[in-house]
Amino acid sequence: MTHTRMACRPLNTPEAKLPDSITRVLSHRFMIRTISSLFTLAGVLISCGLSAQTLTGLVTDENGGPMPGATIVANGGARGVSSDVDGRYNLTLGEGEHTISFSFVGYVKVTRKVTLAAGQTRSLNVSLETNAVLMDDVVVVGYGVQRRKEVTGSIAQIDSKQITAVRTPSFEAALQGQAAGVQVSQSSGVAGAGSLIRVRGVASVSAAGDPLYVVDGIPITQNYFLRGNSGAMNNNPLATINPNDIESVEILKDAAATGIYGSRGANGVILITTKRGQAGTSYEFSSSAGFSNPASLPNMLNTEQYLTLRQEAWENDGGTGYVWLPGFSSAGDSPEARKTAFEQAMLTDTDWVSETIGTGVKHNYSFGARKGGEDYNLYAGVSYDDNGSYLLGNSYERVSGRLNADFEPADWAKIMVSSSLSQGINNRIDAAWSGGLGDAMSNALPYYPVYRSDTLFNADGTVNGLPGDYYLYQDEWGGTKNPVAVRESKTWVTTENRSINNASLILTPMDNLFIKGSGGFDYMHVREDIYNPPSIFLTSDLGNANRYANYVLNWNYSLTADYKMDLTEFSSLGLLAGSEFQRTDSYGYGIGFGDVTGPVFDNDSLLELANGQTTVNNPSQHSFLSYFGRANYTLKDRYFFQGTARVDGSSRFGRNYRYGFFPSLSAGWVVSDEPWFESGTMSFLKARTSWGKTGNAALPDYARFGTYSAPDNGILYNGAPILFPLQPANPNLRWETSRTVDASIEVGLWNDRITTELAYYNKLSQDVIMNVSTPPSTGFTNRWDNVATILNRGVEWSIKSRNLVGEFQWTTELNVARNYNELQSIGNYTPDAVSGGTNDSRVITGSPVGSFYLMMFSHVDAETGLPVYLDRAGNETFDYDNSERQYVGDGLPEFVGGMTNTFRWKNWDLRALATFSYGAKIFDSSSKRQLGVVTGWNMRTEILDRWRQPGDEATFPRLTLDETTYGLPSGFPWWNTSLFVFDASYLRLRNLTLGYTIPTVGTGPHAIRNLRVNASVTNLFTITNFPGLDPEVVRDFENAQDRNMSPNVTYLTPPQERAFTLGINMSF
Amino acid sequence: MKSLRLFASAAGCALLLSGCDRMLEFEPGDVILAEDAINNADDLQRMLNSNYDVLANLLNGRQQCIAELLTDNMARPYSSLDYTAVWNRETNFFTPTTGGLYTDFYYAIYRANVVVDSFDLVEDLDDVTRLRLEAESRFVRAVCHWYLVKMWAYPYGYTADNSHLGVPLRTDAVEPPSPRATVADVYAQIIADLEFAKANLPQENGPYASSMAASGFLAHIHFMRQDWNAAQAEAERVIGSGLFVLDNDLDRYEAGSDSVLAGEQINPETVFGITGGYFAVDGDSLLNDRSSAFRDNFRQDNNLNPQLTFSDDINDLFQLNAADDRGNWVESNGVVHKVTRFDDKQFFNVPVIHLTGLHLLRAMSIAENGGDLATAIGDINAIRDRAFGEDLNDLPAGSGAAEVLAAAREEYRKETLCEGWALDHVKLRGVMGEPETVRGAPWDCPGSLLQFPNSSTTAAGFVLNDEGGCL
Repeated sequence: MTHTRMACRPLNTPEAKLPDSITRVLSHRFMIRTISSLFTLAGVLISCGLSAQTLTGLVTDENGGPMPGATIVANGGARGVSSDVDGRYNLTLGEGEHTISFSFVGYVKVTRKVTLAAGQTRSLNVSLETNAVLMDDVVVVGYGVQRRKEVTGSIAQIDSKQITAVRTPSFEAALQGQAAGVQVSQSSGVAGAGSLIRVRGVASVSAAGDPLYVVDGIPITQNYFLRGNSGAMNNNPLATINPNDIESVEILKDAAATGIYGSRGANGVILITTKRGQAGTSYEFSSSAGFSNPASLPNMLNTEQYLTLRQEAWENDGGTGYVWLPGFSSAGDSPEARKTAFEQAMLTDTDWVSETIGTGVKHNYSFGARKGGEDYNLYAGVSYDDNGSYLLGNSYERVSGRLNADFEPADWAKIMVSSSLSQGINNRIDAAWSGGLGDAMSNALPYYPVYRSDTLFNADGTVNGLPGDYYLYQDEWGGTKNPVAVRESKTWVTTENRSINNASLILTPMDNLFIKGSGGFDYMHVREDIYNPPSIFLTSDLGNANRYANYVLNWNYSLTADYKMDLTEFSSLGLLAGSEFQRTDSYGYGIGFGDVTGPVFDNDSLLELANGQTTVNNPSQHSFLSYFGRANYTLKDRYFFQGTARVDGSSRFGRNYRYGFFPSLSAGWVVSDEPWFESGTMSFLKARTSWGKTGNAALPDYARFGTYSAPDNGILYNGAPILFPLQPANPNLRWETSRTVDASIEVGLWNDRITTELAYYNKLSQDVIMNVSTPPSTGFTNRWDNVATILNRGVEWSIKSRNLVGEFQWTTELNVARNYNELQSIGNYTPDAVSGGTNDSRVITGSPVGSFYLMMFSHVDAETGLPVYLDRAGNETFDYDNSERQYVGDGLPEFVGGMTNTFRWKNWDLRALATFSYGAKIFDSSSKRQLGVVTGWNMRTEILDRWRQPGDEATFPRLTLDETTYGLPSGFPWWNTSLFVFDASYLRLRNLTLGYTIPTVGTGPHAIRNLRVNASVTNLFTITNFPGLDPEVVRDFENAQDRNMSPNVTYLTPPQERAFTLGINMSF
Repeated sequence: MKSLRLFASAAGCALLLSGCDRMLEFEPGDVILAEDAINNADDLQRMLNSNYDVLANLLNGRQQCIAELLTDNMARPYSSLDYTAVWNRETNFFTPTTGGLYTDFYYAIYRANVVVDSFDLVEDLDDVTRLRLEAESRFVRAVCHWYLVKMWAYPYGYTADNSHLGVPLRTDAVEPPSPRATVADVYAQIIADLEFAKANLPQENGPYASSMAASGFLAHIHFMRQDWNAAQAEAERVIGSGLFVLDNDLDRYEAGSDSVLAGEQINPETVFGITGGYFAVDGDSLLNDRSSAFRDNFRQDNNLNPQLTFSDDINDLFQLNAADDRGNWVESNGVVHKVTRFDDKQFFNVPVIHLTGLHLLRAMSIAENGGDLATAIGDINAIRDRAFGEDLNDLPAGSGAAEVLAAAREEYRKETLCEGWALDHVKLRGVMGEPETVRGAPWDCPGSLLQFPNSSTTAAGFVLNDEGGCL
């Protein structure tokens, strides 16, 4: 591994753009080295001036792009030049054999031997490859940057190319498979859908378990539940961020890395750094266009199959004649009427799935400009993205703009400003439980037509519907249904306006002291407009309209002082002290209009006519006040020690427990830098370890307060006002804390041909916050309390191997993480104290968080065809007894990972990213209706493997219309059993991209320096035993608790898309 | 400006590194913090009002419908899954309707306990007011415990010493959950609370707790305890007070009218009742709807398929004598027997304890304890005269105790239809050893009791009722 002192880097390298003290320190070194290099270069030029032999060529990156500023050194430094702005170099050498090395910060040095005859001019092109673990690379850490070599915490770095390589509904989904220990599950195929990200397991129950997102130093709002689970889709606040604006993403995983964020680091921190300007002028343009369809399709029964099975169920239950049919007949009808209805049903066979899905069309354009001068630099980017999903009528459009500017008015002052403005327009459709494809997989029976073929009369003889009108049917809850009618008639748009802004002033009052004051403002306005026209109601002649608006205003102020000093010739000390204040205000309102004839929000006159009712949400506010410090001690450039401490105060806790103290200690040792270390094989060896304490306060703002109704609550009894309690107080509610021990070893082999890292961690989370369901006899049904203890323990392994080098290159990157999760204690509560999803997950001591807690299914009795269950003692029983529910599996995988193989040949590159998950279970909550009691839901073809006669060995029991046949309470066909808990292991080809790069098109200042075209496929195939739609799924949720408890539960959830995209990127 | 101040504050705080705790102080809007909620007697009164508010939301037909469904009075519900589960006697801890009912009773109990526990927080509380507040609160607490114990536990007398499990007994607004107390303990506390109310409240108190209302409940409770003398005495105290008179109209559910406070239209025989809703003065908005569960489940004049209809058994009962005006409460097509008792009513007052019921309780108590049968016969005939016409179907003078008991039971069943009282009688007869069945299953089959909600079990050690076995 190349771990020597950093080579010279030109002013326009990423390091030069870094905005803080580390940059400053490095810049001083850079100046010295630059001057040294200039002298060296001058010497080379002078000494070689009389020779005629010349070596020329082009230095490119792994994608074929030119690399300006690369260092080309001959014979160990005797002669050297830098590549020009087009990546070209020209090196004059003496006659004979030379060893030429090509290097650039962040890339693996390449060495070539070349022999020049007298007077010969020879060409040698070289492609440099990035090295993710290169020790002199710089990574962003909390409130600063560090050389990777010095980092003592666990940090995964993902660059912009990795993020934009995979086309996803939102940038965070592109992190999947890129970093060990970071589990990313994209939720569904809905446009703009969010992902579930868990860093080193699930450590929370009712408090949000998502990592903290920090954009350019500003913790941003990331509340998925502003509108709750609206239409089976949570708003995803991250979808408005343009992936093309992102320079890099750092994921902080252990306490040493996250400790500086103390209060909110328990679930990891994701640092997003956006692009900034650089010296000179350059432009970037990228565009892609493509289409998508579902990665998998549901296998619903057709009319003949459904009616056959329904008839069989009817006869199994003792029925005679034709079975009654929902919407067409009833059980009490005469045999003749039932027969007529049956025959009528046979005339229609609607494929409702096909009626709700199609081909999603998507295209995006992104343009960025960078410009830099002596005392300023700028980055400006604009983008437009129209991402249509395969769900008909569903798309997410994003328009965004960003301006990042740095200005250095004096040597001792620098101003940095970042500002983004974006708008996301989500053209919504009903999905999952709400309708659309969800209806097509449930209540839309195949014998229902899309359109009427007859005239429908009212009881009084008046015409209610004409041929060609939508055929509307009612589901079991009386809702008017027809997914086509709803999609085509309903207007439903969510508009999100967001602006993330940050301004910093960096002062350098003395050498090596940097004082930075920052202010950030994150504004979010989400507006949802809905209009339901009368055509989708059975009983109304007019429509209704609603508007829901939510605002989130997030301020952040911080002040840091950073000082670094050399204590001795061999040791240095870096100190950081700072404070931070963050405040978030949320508020909103809803307006409902009844009896309107159109979308009131498009028509002011209708707004005036409509009878609107406004509901104003109570504002919600919270704040954090923090003081923190960090000390870094470096000895002999191979021993590294770090200590962090942070005191956080949160308004969410009372005075008794308001402040939490979160320290961390860590150390790193670059063993391979020891004088005694000699190994021909091992080129790099580093060990590090850390211990730290982090916290979590992501709970509702006012959970600690005991509250009573407002004086003007408007409720009267017998004309008299009332006062009543709302929520019990818990003044002792306190921080959820995690203590983490982490250790890792990093190794480079064969001159870093192979680099690998193995890490171990043990994270014990205590005082875990649970919104406990309390016995009603206490007067309340819920109470927030610090109850649980959760253990996450795991191993992470990553490896990068350059399997083939030379003209044909093959690189493999693999990461695998194994996490063990155990809920160690929930105090005196029972598993039902906290539930997740729809009665599927519970808190079970000794099992993972969110374990499925269901009746255990054993088999189908061959003689009777009845389901046989197992009670907790393991005894077989025909009784379905909720008190016998037990752990039947969990949704947490044994290990997850990703593997990327990259092949390059000349200007071609092929990249394949595969992600995998092993050992998790998925509860297919839809199956309990699709594969259970025959009801008003359509069923899946797996049900054909059902018991039909004594002796049958079948997967599914005898068909029945009567839920009591399976031991269920009458009226409750919701068959929650382990029969529908499936293996969710999968291997998915997440992305396959073929690219071709033209290094330079044209000449001169208008030349295109890097033109790359590519074709990619997302989710090309998935290998899995899961019989449902998609083994990678996150159900729509209404709160953070569900998100923690039931990640692997599906309920009519649309599968992910398979997308085909053609793209072009260019720089000029 | 606000942001500027914030920034200045933050910067100042950052520099001074102290004294900024107030920046972490946010309080929820549009609510009152618990520590500020109760400061004076008015607050306590409003808190007490909320006890009645919850009680009104429970006795607006919710409790009565559930109780009726556990008897022979009702046919299978039309479509409600929860009601069907009750009717089948297979509720489980996931049945939301019964879970909500259980929860709301404890809301009222908790609030009553808050009132009693908060006297020391209030300085302007005079002794008279304090005594009234405590008596009314304990009345509500007793009534709620009473409804809970009779629907979630086997009746008094089910075991010799009544040591069988009742429901959690809550007499303080404290945090820790309680296990199920014995039925003996629950009854003892109910009686103590009602006796306190009886002794310290005025005889009449409008739609609120009163001394007579306490006696009315005590009569019923002692009746369930088979303490016939005490039941008779309490019933006679109410009947003899002269404060209430039997209404000549069979309809005790008095409808309110526009712009009129329904509480002013309490039926004259109502000893304790719930005031229904009323429209605002502008006539547009319904301000207080306390009869919705009756209206929405039973009304058939505006609903082709009402949720709850009478059983064949009830229809047959009314077919026996066409002269019975109460037969008009049923509209039958021979298959479905719809309830007409609430037709044309949008909102109305709900009698909970009424004179008709107390007459019949007294009659049955006398028949059981060998008292003055003439009084009992008079009670029964007062009811029959109203239903059939004066002297048209009277129980003959000189009838024996058995005839009196049978007649009183029949009238009791008819008069209290839809009111949930029939369930008490089923359990009483069951515990008295009479061979009692409900739709073919033993009266105390597993499942005959409502199941506690799942949330009851979140604290370890709670004992659930047995399930299943009644079908």
